[in-house]
Order: sequence, then C-alpha cells, then structure tokens
Amino acid sequence: MVWLLGAALVLNIVMIGALLGLIAVEGMRAFWPHPIEQVTLRTGERFLGVPVREEAFEVSAQRKRELLARVEAGEIAPETTASDGRPMRRLYRIGNRDLGQQPFRWVEIENLESAERPDEAVFVERIAWGVFLGVPEAVVLQTLAPAPLDAEGSPMLGAPAEGTVDEDGATIRLTRELRRIEVEAGVFEPFVVTRRYLAEGAAETMRLLRELIPEAAQRREHLRGLRRSKIGPINAAMTHLRERVTEAEIKLQRAEAGGARSTPAVVWFGALAAAGALVVGVGRASRRARKSGRRPTPLAQMLSHAGVVLAVGLVLFVWLERPVGGSMTPERYDHIVADAAARQAELEVEYDAVAAEIEEVREIDSQFRVIIRDPAADRFAPERQSTPDEPMRISQIVRTVQPNTLSAGDRLGLYLARWWEFIADDPREANTEGGVFPVIFGTVLLTILLTIVVVPLGVLAALYLREYARQGVVTSFIRIAVNNLAGVPSIVYGVFGLGFFCYTVGAYVDAGPSGATQLPVFQWWFLVGAGLAIVIAAGSVGILSTRKPGQVDSRGYKALRITSTCAWIAAFGIVAAMFVTTPYFHGFFEARLPDPTFGKRGLLWAALTLALLTLPVVIVSTEEAIAAVQPSLREASYGSGASKWQTIKRVVLPGAMPGILTGMILAMARGAGEVAPLMLVGALKWAPELPISLDAPFLHLDRSFMHLGFHIYDLGFQSPDSEAARPLVWASTLLLIAVILLLNLTAIMLRARVRRKMGSGHF
Amino acid sequence: MSLMTTTPVQPDAQPADDSLSIIQRIQQGLETTPEIHPALAQESSILEIERFCLWYTKAQAIFSLSMGIPRGKVTALIGPSGCGKSTLLRSVNRLNDLIDGVRIEGRMLLNGESIYDPAVDVIDLRKRMGMVFQRPNPFPMTIFENVIYPLRIDGERRRSVLVEACERALRGAALWDEAKDRLNESALGLSGGQQQRVCIARAIVAEPDVLLLDEPCSALDPIATLRIEELIHEISERYTVLIVTHNMQQASRVSDYTAFMYLGRLVECGPTVDIFQNPRLQETEDYVTGRFG
Repeated sequence: MVWLLGAALVLNIVMIGALLGLIAVEGMRAFWPHPIEQVTLRTGERFLGVPVREEAFEVSAQRKRELLARVEAGEIAPETTASDGRPMRRLYRIGNRDLGQQPFRWVEIENLESAERPDEAVFVERIAWGVFLGVPEAVVLQTLAPAPLDAEGSPMLGAPAEGTVDEDGATIRLTRELRRIEVEAGVFEPFVVTRRYLAEGAAETMRLLRELIPEAAQRREHLRGLRRSKIGPINAAMTHLRERVTEAEIKLQRAEAGGARSTPAVVWFGALAAAGALVVGVGRASRRARKSGRRPTPLAQMLSHAGVVLAVGLVLFVWLERPVGGSMTPERYDHIVADAAARQAELEVEYDAVAAEIEEVREIDSQFRVIIRDPAADRFAPERQSTPDEPMRISQIVRTVQPNTLSAGDRLGLYLARWWEFIADDPREANTEGGVFPVIFGTVLLTILLTIVVVPLGVLAALYLREYARQGVVTSFIRIAVNNLAGVPSIVYGVFGLGFFCYTVGAYVDAGPSGATQLPVFQWWFLVGAGLAIVIAAGSVGILSTRKPGQVDSRGYKALRITSTCAWIAAFGIVAAMFVTTPYFHGFFEARLPDPTFGKRGLLWAALTLALLTLPVVIVSTEEAIAAVQPSLREASYGSGASKWQTIKRVVLPGAMPGILTGMILAMARGAGEVAPLMLVGALKWAPELPISLDAPFLHLDRSFMHLGFHIYDLGFQSPDSEAARPLVWASTLLLIAVILLLNLTAIMLRARVRRKMGSGHF
Repeated sequence: MSLMTTTPVQPDAQPADDSLSIIQRIQQGLETTPEIHPALAQESSILEIERFCLWYTKAQAIFSLSMGIPRGKVTALIGPSGCGKSTLLRSVNRLNDLIDGVRIEGRMLLNGESIYDPAVDVIDLRKRMGMVFQRPNPFPMTIFENVIYPLRIDGERRRSVLVEACERALRGAALWDEAKDRLNESALGLSGGQQQRVCIARAIVAEPDVLLLDEPCSALDPIATLRIEELIHEISERYTVLIVTHNMQQASRVSDYTAFMYLGRLVECGPTVDIFQNPRLQETEDYVTGRFG
C-alpha cells in the first residue's frame, strides 16, 4: 500500500515538475539569438533564413521506401530522412513580410543544396513589418527640395543624376532623382530627391548604423513623448471642454423643461430644522444614556432608532431639494460656452506649436535611411510596403544583429537585452514582437484591485456569519451556498459581470436610471417614505426581539426576529428600488454619452467580477481562522469588560489575521490566473494605454487593460503569425508564473511578519 | 460510600423521608435546605444570590441557590466536578450570556442592584469584576498591553495613566520585579505561573469590586501555586474574592468563608475554619477529608 501511495505522490511531483520545467526551458529559450543561413536549394533558388526547428513529416509508404532506398544507395545524405524513412524538413524564419513573402518557410532537407552562414547577413528587428533578413548595403542621407522648373514650366533635376561631393575631407557619392510627392491629399508636386551615400558596403554600413541607431531611437522616443505628453493632454483638454459645454446644454434643457426644484421654501426650511433638531436630540439622549452606564429601555432605543432613520430621510430630502446649485440659467450657459471657446482657441494654438515641433523632428528623422538588401528578391527594406523605392528610415530599426559573427558574450548580452525589452516595452506587430509591459502591469494592477475589494468584503461576511449570525439552518445553508459558489465555472462569473456590472451598473453610473424606470418626484418620495417606515419598523421589531439576559428565546421572540429580518430584506429591496427609480440622478458621465465610460468592459468591473469569483475562498478561510481563535482568549476579553466589537477588533481579528492572509493569498493566486471571465469583462488584446496616468483621477478604472493570461491565449491562438508568436507564448507563460509567484511571495512574507508580530506561531 | 450507585428515584414517587442524608436527598432530586452558619449572616454581602437557578438548554445546572458573598473577604466554592461551582462563578459576571440556550431564574444582586436586569449594561458590569480562568490565557501581545487591556478598551489613552496602572497591577500580582524589564516582550514567552499572574494583574488593573477566580492554580505546578495563593492572600485585603477550587488545602489556606456545593445545590456554607474543622454536616466532613467526592 505504501508503495502505491508513494507512487501516486511521485507521479504528481513528476507531473508538476515536468510542467514547470517545460515552461521554464521553453520560456528561457525564447530570446536566444540563432544564426542566419544562406540557403541554396537544388532548384537554384537562394534565400536567407534563420533555422527554427526540424521535424520529420508523414508521406506515403511508397515514398518512404523510395527514400530509404536512396539513402542506402548513398544518393542522398542520411540526415535527409528519419530512421523510418519519413523525410525531414526544416523551418526557416525568412521575415521580410513587407516584400510580400510569408515570414516562415519549410524546406525539405532533400531539396537543400547548401546552407552557409555568411558573416554579413543581418537580422533587423523593426518597429513595424516584423523582422528583415538581408545584407547591409549603405547608409543614406536623403534630402528633399522642390524641383526647379525649366523654361516651359516643367520640373527638372537641375544637376547630373549622379555625382560626388566632398564633405569633411571625404568624397561622398550622391544620386539625384525627380519625383512627384503627395504634399496634401490628392496634390502632387515635383521634388528633387538627393541621396548622399554616407557609408557603403556591409562593414561600413554596420559601423555607421551602430552610431546612428541610438540617435534615431532618441528621435523616435522624442516624437513618442511629444505625442504622449503634449498632444495627448491637449486632446484630453479639448474633449473635456466639449463635455463641459454638452453638460451645460443638458442642464439648461432640463431647467427649461421645468425640472427645477419645486419645494416651497417653508417646507424645505421646515425639513432642515427638523433634521437638525432630530440629530441634536438623538445625540444628547444617547450621550446621556452612555453616561448613566445603564442600557436604555426598549422604548428609548426604538425612539432613538426612529429618530436616526427620520433624520437620514430628512437630510436626504434637504440635500436633493437644495435650492441653490445644479440649476442652469441661459446666462451661465452662455458664459460657459464663451469660456470654452476661448480656451479651445488657446489649446489650438498650443496644438499647432507642438505639431510644428513634431513635423520638424520628423523631417530630420526622415533624412536618415539605410539600405538593407534581400539578396533573393534583390530589393531593399522599404519605408512602407507601398513605397518600395524609399529605403527604410533608421528610426524604424529597433536593433540590428549579425548573428553569425556574435561571440558568446555578445549572445548573452543580446539575450538579456531582449528579455529586458520583453518585460519593459510595449507590444508591437499584433503582440508578436516587442514587450509585454502593459500586460504585466494590467495583471498586477488587476490582482491588487481584486484583493483590495475581496478581502474586506470576505472578512466582513465571514465575521457576520461566524460572530453575529445565530448559528442555525439559515447559516448552514448560506455556508453551503458559499462553498458551492467556489465551484461555479468562472465563465459564468464573466457572463454575470458583463451583464450586471458592465451593462447594468456601469450604464447606471454613466447615465443614471433609464427613463422607463424613473418615477415622478412625488411618487419617488412616497417610495422613500415607505422605505423609512419599513426600516423603522424593522429596527423596532428587532429591538423588541432582543433576548432578555438569562432568558432563552420563546416562540414569540423567534417570530419577531424573523419578522424583523424579513423587514430588513424588504428595506434593502426598497433602497435598491430607490436607486433604480430616482428622478434626481442622471449619471456621472452624461455629457460623454452615447460613448460609454463605465458602461462597458473595464478594469473596475473585471476586478469586481474576479472579487466575486474569489470571495468564497476568502470567506471560507477567514471563517476557519476566526473559529480557530481560542475560546479562552475571547473569554478573557469579555471577562475584561470588552464589548463584542472590541473583542473582534483586538483579539479575534489579530488572531485570525494569518488565516485571513492565507485566504488572501489563495484569492490572489486564483484571481491572477483567471482568464475566462476577463475575456468578457475587460481584458483586450491590445490596450497599451496604461490604466494609470498623471492626470486626474490617476487611476482610470474605466479603461480596458491587458492581462497575461489572456495574452497567452491571444498569442497562441489569435495571432496572425503563430510561428513568430510561439516563443513569446512560452515567455509569457513563464512571466505569468513568475508574476503570480512574486505576488504570492509578497503576501507570504507579509503573513510571516504578522505571525512574528503575534509573538508565536501557534495561530 | 457507595451512594453514587444508588438509583435516583422520582421525587413524586416517594414522600419526603427525614431519614435520608442531604446528599441522598439531592441525588433523588428532593428539596434541601442548605446549612448556613450564622457567622455569615453577620457579614455585609457585596453579592446577594437569591433562589438562583440555571439551565443549559434543558439540563438544570444550579438549583435554587441562595447565599451572600461577604464584602472584602475571600469566599471559596468547593465541591466535586460538575457541581456547578464554575457555572455559578460565570453567572456572576454574566459570561454565560455567551452560551446559547442558557436560562436563569432567581436574582443576583451586586451592591443591591440586580445583575440580570435588562437595563444593566453587561459591559459595565463586567468592568466591575475581574476574572481569572483555569488556564492562563494571556493575549498574544506584550506584557504591558496584556495588563492594561481593560483600560485600553475603556478608552484610556494617556500613556502616563496606563504606565502607572500597569506597574500598580503588576506589583499587586507580585510580578513587577520579574517583568519590569520585559514589559514590551510577548506575554506568551513567560512561564505558566507568570502568565497566570499576568492574568491576575489584568483582572485587578481596573480596580474591580469583585475578583472571580476560576480554579486559578489547577494548571500550575506546586511552586507557582504557592505564589498565587500568597498573592490571593495579599489581594484579599483590598478586594472581595470569590474563588472556585478543587484543592481542599488551598481552600482552607486562602479563604475566609467556604461554600460546599453538590450537584447544583448549596450544601453547607460558613467560615472556613468551621467548615474544615467543625462542619455541621457529616457529608461536608466526608468531602473535605477526602472520604467522598
């Protein structure tokens, strides 16, 4: 028997080890630089490619026999086939998508004439269009000038098409070319394009590129920075202005439609005075009661409860019917519009200035170009696929590598640099290149948010369930229900989150209750009155049903208590109905409609959905932790004269803290790895804009985000170029595991600290 | 005695029989009159128990018990296990409220005020009584925080007041010399006897009217027990002490008055000297000399 059990354990460990090992190995391998081969096929075709992997593929039995016979006869090399006669093939990454070729290509070994590794072959990682494999040819300084016109008014070159120029003591070859360039949409004008060949030949070109690429990268970053930190805020400010005007317009319309507050002043001031008197009276009475050291009689308790509830109702009335503020007059509206127009004009001036600066940098940037030629197609890498005659700008290059000349140290450096890029950069090329920084950020932020939501919620629920609720059929039922919630498929939570949070709560936050459910003011206050009455009744019945000291519940008390609970539930229902039907609330983002702000998938709803998903974990572990706090400590606390809440706060919660943190860790681990609900409630394949920013409110909970789990799925199964994405899938998986591990480690360290602080580990 | 094996008889089935001993009567569920020494009546009572009954759900644990606890004296409750001593003690500060299904009848008066009156604030009531339990139960906090816990929850924030109260309580619990240098260390690092003295300090820090000790030495070794007993002796000069104990020697050493309980009923109650040396009932003598129970 012991062998069976041991074997089961070993099997489990082996499976887990295999899983982690595979991910680690494949993930670590993803960015290792491979050589470039100059492939010559038997057909005479030649191309450059990076060998990715080899495999045997299935063919007919006859062909296998044929191949084996040829191998035996020595006609073809043994490595052409697998031992069973299946032919081998090799996958080459050939890139150069902008030259119109598939970026990966299978080559049967049989067709392979030769594969050499030329030193000059270069692997170019670019901002767009994926990698380019080629041979560096020249660095070009390209300038534009309007073409001079000849006597008949047609453009001309004005100088020989080819020549040399002496600059800084060196003779530089240059070419001139007449070209019509689109200056505005549909308007073409003649220009002379002059190209100075600053460097020619592979070695020279690479040497110069090493200097120019960092400069170009700086320009690229500068442009990006201008767009992000200057244009972005200006656009945001303009949107904000438009929203302000729209908002004022809506308010004006509403004011003109007679929606203004209509309470007579006498009634309003009466309500204000009554609210004040109630607050003061109840406050005094409760202070007096506290001083006397005796419990107030049930009647006094009921009166003070009713007083508090009424005061809340009156304050609500006084606030909602406040006579000043909120209403819009035509004068104010005109003022706002004029103000907005003036500000808009200022912003436009600012915008033009930034745009001019951008144009300037772009112009410089577009001068520096590099010719890298694909020897197979005899074409160089173009700036755009649509402009095959324009060599690409240097700023389009992220990195050039000549992998066939790299030393081991260079390889390692490159490997680390690629990892860093992967972790710190934004994704490019439909996520198949670049980094995953926004993805990591989204994952971590989401996990933190969900933890912030789920832990207090779960702890409060568990506290009520364990400390306050009367243990009985109902609590057992709730416990079973909570445990079952943990087993609900997560996609169900996703559907719920989308339907309830995004489209119901979110729409409410945006636009307030829909017109169909809104009640007229008078009827709504009637509803509020009913709600207050039920709350007063529920509280009073609850006070009456309080057990007398040293007595057990008679049947009558039980009935009262059930009545009270039902009344509280009804009161909850009425409060919900009040929200749904209020005529006072029109949404926080009315001016942005019909574009939803919170009424769509976003970070907040994703965090809430995952919080709901992980709630059972927290509740169960917190309940267990609370139950495990030694009864003798509770008795000591009660015996010292502590109230229930003091005991919970000072003895139960600290004692249960490690258990609560265990629940938190489990919730984080579960939440961070969850994908299915996120697909529905907020994770996007492409959302490089981080959900935090420097402008208010800093944390943009309405934004969509990227998530590692979803990213892996997207890379693996939704990618346009699955071969290119393949290593990234492994790397992302490794990262996801690392992120979860890191979050958990942090939490575990926190728990260890708490335990140490508790002075002993026996909790 | 082989009385424990006697089959209980239905009280209705058999008329009262004067020939039965009080223990037999109790075992048969008959009404009994406790033997209360007149010396007790001359003391002024801080706590008056009047016809007090208590049920755990259906099972009755205390049967119409009446006695007074003399002010400023140490009163010991003795009796075999399950006789309701601890239950009685926990009824005094209403710690039994925490248990579901506990029902009481009769009255308890603290300084003439009913403990079980609905208008009594139970928190306030417990603040006037310190309690020490069988097993040392210090909180997982520092010694200082443990001792001043009752003041903390009372809202006392002034550091000087807390420090002074802590010293006074620790001196009162005879722990000051051992603990004064390690006030900020965890109380869980102390020995069992020291922990129990921390609990005593915690119980007396708020200057309670009554100190309730529920077998405070049962989990301690003889030396620690001795120290605690000396301590109780010292404390008794300032507080009224009600102590539950299993240990006859302890009862005779520390208490001024002793009450002997059996199966939820009071059997005999009087000055400790009388109870131990000159009890009125044979059963009491049997119990205190260890021949029964």
